[in-house]
Amino acid sequence: MEEDVKVLLIEDDVAAAEMYRLRLVADGYSVVIGHDGHEGLRMATDEAPDFIYLDLRLPGLDGFEVLERLRAGTATMHIPVIILTNYGEPELRERGLKLGALEFLVKSDTDPAELSESVERAVSPRALPSI
Amino acid sequence: MPDLATSWDDPSTTDGASRDLVLEALRLASRLVSSGTRVREARCLLLHNDVLTSVASSRETEASERGRYRVSEHANFDRAISTGQVVDDGSTVVVPARGDNGVLGVITIDGEGGLGDAQPATPATIAHIVGLGVSQSRAVNELQLEAERSRRLERLKSEFLNIAAHELRSPLGIIRGYTSMLSEGMLPNPDREVALSRITEKAEEMARLISEMLETARLETLGLELELEPVDLLEVVDNAVHAMRPLMGPRHQFALAAPGDDIAVVADKRRLTTMLTNLIDNAIKYSPAGGEIEIACDHDEREATVLVRDHGIGINAEQAHLLFTRFGRLVTPETSHIRGTGLGLYLARESARLHGGDITVSPTPGGGSTFVVTLPIA
Repeated sequence: MEEDVKVLLIEDDVAAAEMYRLRLVADGYSVVIGHDGHEGLRMATDEAPDFIYLDLRLPGLDGFEVLERLRAGTATMHIPVIILTNYGEPELRERGLKLGALEFLVKSDTDPAELSESVERAVSPRALPSI
Repeated sequence: MPDLATSWDDPSTTDGASRDLVLEALRLASRLVSSGTRVREARCLLLHNDVLTSVASSRETEASERGRYRVSEHANFDRAISTGQVVDDGSTVVVPARGDNGVLGVITIDGEGGLGDAQPATPATIAHIVGLGVSQSRAVNELQLEAERSRRLERLKSEFLNIAAHELRSPLGIIRGYTSMLSEGMLPNPDREVALSRITEKAEEMARLISEMLETARLETLGLELELEPVDLLEVVDNAVHAMRPLMGPRHQFALAAPGDDIAVVADKRRLTTMLTNLIDNAIKYSPAGGEIEIACDHDEREATVLVRDHGIGINAEQAHLLFTRFGRLVTPETSHIRGTGLGLYLARESARLHGGDITVSPTPGGGSTFVVTLPIA
């Protein structure tokens, strides 16, 4: 399907990262995982992913700090980011969207299948041949 | 009329209206002595643990100069307090003031001639006013403290509910995710095995969180009942280590130290196991960079000890006292991503204390925390 689309998961919960990876790989994406804020930020530059799923509660840098730095970096500023977290508070959602996240998903309310759908929505315009 | 000192230094009586009542009584007292006698000073002294401390005076004296007296060393004070009667030695009149819980202080009137021809009922009335004023002031004070305490507890409870809800959401997310993938039939076989064991683990994690919350609620209302039986402590420690091994990261190692003989204690085996798994779980979670987790058992004739030592983040000494409280999970920027409600340590210590033992914590030299459980020997 979309062999060439690479997704970066920035997620410290090993079980959650593994589950999302299984789902995305099954849907044809390649997946890399950053286990904390600093590692995620480094991989966003080094791995040049097409898409990022970002947790909020992370060791080192929290998700908001990561998002701010992603948006400030020339190499990472255009990568679509979706926040995927256990925290659904409206003020956090608002902050995340204001910082430039495409969507704000609460893990326990999100079917892993929706992850691939979101990636597809976000990256497919670029996958289409230009006219 | 003599001026009353304006400073008042009894921390248990902060209510203004009650304080004015005491000062008014003191003014009355300073006029008690009959005309022709010169009153040098009227004072109000409050009693605390056999010590009388002057809190107000008709003379403008610095609070620090007004004096503290050990009652047993002053015969007049001693007699007035133990008998509840006015003592008049001709130069000082000591009037005991009663509150709801016995004598709470005295008023004194210094002046040549003592009570002279004053109405005998008057000192008792004045002492009564002082007693009422101080009692009322203390009650108001206590109510204010109580209100502050309950506001604080309410705040902690709602913070705790917030933490607990998020703690439940995390395993729930995994269970729902894998269940949905399994029902779609999209997972090939080795992954299906992984999915099933994750679902089981996460369901257990939720069950553990829920029983901690229920146990806490129960402890608060009914208290815990231990199911005591003779237990070999080393066996329980082994079981706890075995149960926690899967949670260890690749960077952690367990180092076990135990004496050659059995350590027999009388304990609730299930709760003792939970207590130890909680401490080991904590040691793992709070040493994210890995390192050795030492678990050492020992005993003498009176008590057995289990030490659990990590070389991780450690605990801020100023906050250590909150660690074992009900809603006292310590959240710092370094630890905010670490899972847990904080109930585990609270329950662990309550349970240790119910066993007649305790849990203490101290910093590990070089970084980290050392928890020590003590239990009485059977």
